Amino acid sequence: MRTFFFFILAIIFIIFAVVIGVYNTLIRMIEAINNNKKQIDIQLDRRFKVFESLIEAVKKYMDYEKTTLKEVVALRNQAQAAKATGDEKARMVAEEGISKIAAGLSVVFEAYPDLKANQNVVALQEEIVNTENRLAYAKQAYNDSVERYMAKKKSFFEAIIVNLFRDSLDKQFDYWGLSEATAASHENYTVKF
Amino acid sequence: MLQDYHQEAADWRKTIRSNTHKTWFVITAFISIYVVTGLLIDIMRVLSMYPEASVSLVLKAFLKGMIVPWATLILGGIAIISWVITLAFSDKIMLLGTEYYEITETSARTFKEKQLYHVVEEMKIAAGLHFMPKVFVIDANYMNAFASGYSERSAMVAITKGLMEKLDRAELKAVMAHELSHIRHLDIKLTLTVALLGNILLLVVDMFFYSALFGRDGRREDNRFLAVIMLLRYLLPVVTVLLSLFLSRTREYMADAGSVELMRDNEPLARALIKISADHTEHAEEYEKAYQETPHEEVRQAAYLFDPSEVLPLRSLTNAFRTHPALSDRLKAIGFSKKQ
Repeated sequence: MRTFFFFILAIIFIIFAVVIGVYNTLIRMIEAINNNKKQIDIQLDRRFKVFESLIEAVKKYMDYEKTTLKEVVALRNQAQAAKATGDEKARMVAEEGISKIAAGLSVVFEAYPDLKANQNVVALQEEIVNTENRLAYAKQAYNDSVERYMAKKKSFFEAIIVNLFRDSLDKQFDYWGLSEATAASHENYTVKF
Repeated sequence: MLQDYHQEAADWRKTIRSNTHKTWFVITAFISIYVVTGLLIDIMRVLSMYPEASVSLVLKAFLKGMIVPWATLILGGIAIISWVITLAFSDKIMLLGTEYYEITETSARTFKEKQLYHVVEEMKIAAGLHFMPKVFVIDANYMNAFASGYSERSAMVAITKGLMEKLDRAELKAVMAHELSHIRHLDIKLTLTVALLGNILLLVVDMFFYSALFGRDGRREDNRFLAVIMLLRYLLPVVTVLLSLFLSRTREYMADAGSVELMRDNEPLARALIKISADHTEHAEEYEKAYQETPHEEVRQAAYLFDPSEVLPLRSLTNAFRTHPALSDRLKAIGFSKKQ
């Protein structure tokens, strides 16, 4: 009888330990997602500042219209407004617009061989590539953390525990992505010379 | 050349999963070996105090907590203490004997150095690491790289000048992604731990062997144990070395898969590996000399991105047993199989 009692006690203890473990893991994952989402914001902010200074620098080398900077600023404002209202879609569109300007800058570099040979411009290009990559990888890291959380949350056993603590464990996160229309237009995009 | 290979998508999720299982197997095996060896010594100790007791009786006494298995506990204690000490010095150990300098955002002097720092930063973001690893450049012509550090906070990546200068941006990034994957998977900690545990185990068994050999007081009971210890003494080194090499190869596959995971592209890593291998073949003599003239090269061999003994006839204790999978196997695992 006593052994049976201890056996039951041990099982209850193990179940408690597992539930606590799963709970803490899921909370950690949720916070990782929140952090990774902010990481995207940090990279967007960094890109804006870097590009602003880059465009200023580039203007010394070529007659590059001031409109580009204005465009970036306008798109940036759109993005910020969308962010304030929580409209993720509009924000993604605006951020994509800035990316396109960056691609345009690269094409301009290709068109001026002298410019391309210039050490400073090579360094600038590296800066642009680095900035864009940072942003892309921040988005990738965000999506990866969403994947890990979603897979864990929907797995067997974890799903039961999530059901018990719906408020704190059951969150919805959207993968960062493009709208269907933007994706289609990007798919058709080719470099024109 | 990359043209000699068929390319397909690499299933990095599967590679990482299967190699994680293998790692658990190695860890379990190691712990079991430790416990069994410790208990064996304890049983002998108790039997020498109570010659009339049987082995099963002693085992039962351990289980019921009537006798404390001191040898097992002390063995574990020694292991933990030396583990902490080794890990604390691990990053310094890894750079032993090389000429190196650190690169930071502001101290990067050349374009390549800046680019190197940038790609490490990019991969750090993709890997979701909380700390930027230190970036070191080793002043050497051969192409190689490795990662070290016992935690994310103290992590470092080192890359030779030859590698930094001969790879393009994407290849450099793939290599750094491989190294950051080692950090992310805690491989440095793991392989160091296993190497350390193996060495302590051998030391203990050796001590035990000699004490049993010379300390016998003529009891018949001891012969049986002497045979077991003899067996252990010759079997354990082979088992631990094979286990740790198996582990090392497993973690290499995982880091390659991790590189593909971070890059979402398997081609740059394949290109870099083929380039490094070809470069080693081309400059075999020069590199062989360079590797051999660098002191303490053996501490880095297992950690390297590319095992130089794959191409060079380097003198090394572990030459017969590979720390890295063969290049063709690594390429195959990331989706590149050689055309017939």
